[in-house]
Amino acid sequence: MAVASPIIDVSFDTLTACSGCDLLHHHRELELGEYARCERCGDVIQTCKPNTIERSLAATLTALFLLLISLITPFLALSRAGITSSMSVFDAVEALWDTQMRWLGLLTLALIIVLPLARLLLLGWVLWRLHFGRKARRSMRIAFRWALKLEPWAMADIFVMGVVVSLVKISTLANLSVGIAFWALLALVGASILINASLCKDTVWTRLQQNQ
Amino acid sequence: MDTTSTESVTAKEAGLKRCASCGRLQKIDDTQRCTKCGAAVQSRRSKSIQRAWAYLVVGMIAYIPANITPIMSTTSFTGNSEDTIMTGIFSLMASGSYFVAGIVFVASICIPIAKFIIIILLVLTVQLNWNLSEHTQHRLHGLTEFIGRWSMIDVFVVAVLAALIQLGGILTITPGVGINAFAVSVVFTMLAASSLDPRLLWDVQAAATTLDNERVSS
Repeated sequence: MAVASPIIDVSFDTLTACSGCDLLHHHRELELGEYARCERCGDVIQTCKPNTIERSLAATLTALFLLLISLITPFLALSRAGITSSMSVFDAVEALWDTQMRWLGLLTLALIIVLPLARLLLLGWVLWRLHFGRKARRSMRIAFRWALKLEPWAMADIFVMGVVVSLVKISTLANLSVGIAFWALLALVGASILINASLCKDTVWTRLQQNQ
Repeated sequence: MDTTSTESVTAKEAGLKRCASCGRLQKIDDTQRCTKCGAAVQSRRSKSIQRAWAYLVVGMIAYIPANITPIMSTTSFTGNSEDTIMTGIFSLMASGSYFVAGIVFVASICIPIAKFIIIILLVLTVQLNWNLSEHTQHRLHGLTEFIGRWSMIDVFVVAVLAALIQLGGILTITPGVGINAFAVSVVFTMLAASSLDPRLLWDVQAAATTLDNERVSS
């Protein structure tokens, strides 16, 4: 391995390393829509997505709208023997809170309401300011970093799956119908996929650096 | 093939480290934060192996009460019944919902156990310099990061059922202690997977290959 020495002389902004295996690559100027994969492990190391700020901002605002809808409308209604009860996402959390399962209630609250909402608000704020050419503040870098970190912990999609399983479990006990919030959450899963597909982190980081 | 790699040198070998959040490179002995995004930069996640073990052990210990204690209890005028994860799956199958029973089985039994085994395998690969195939380990690592969160399904099912079934004394569902243990298990296994640095796996492979080459040439 005698190849290490000449690389240090190169200004290392022309280099890029793979996040999965750390292999060094020369930074390439990509065409719109192109992406570069790591030679060794095949992970995507560079992307260049068209209109990334606008598209991901649109997807983020859509997701935010859907999340707010899902919070204020009931997602399930159930009737049995003349008694009807409908529940919103908050009711699910409240029920856990009331049954001495407080921390489980808090965990559910965090995973299906607080963290997804925080992620979308942070992302929306950063993209909004970038889109309208505002000055890139230092706090925006922190916001974008946290938005990326929160991604695996926003579990609205898994919650939808949980609702489907619950529906099947009690379909023999009572009459059930899904509410608006259920469909909003389902659409939110789609919007989240759109955000991931249209968001080019490289571009956002570069814009955040340039607009200072 | 149009190659852009710099003759198989890692950033670490070239004396550089990559910012995990924005990807900018800086000198490995630089202590300052990343100039592009402001994150703290580490060449390899600090104490990756120790952390992975610690989180994993908690996750595995919590998985035992999660399976043997009830995750919810149903009270109706016909009496009380308590469900563990397994009996919940059986009652779904008994009611003919095989597909949903399958989903719950995969999310609550297969994924957690598969994750325990994969993380142990990967951590031991790093610690004992095992010669696992490069692409096997890469795929396994990708899998642990991707599938872990789906285990939360059962927690949400219990939350939804408990909230929904409060039919004025006719039928009540309350969460059981097991669901706490299960949630702890899922969260800590997710933390274990995210603290395991995939680059360590490649370091081991690279070291093994160098050793082989030296043996051949001498």
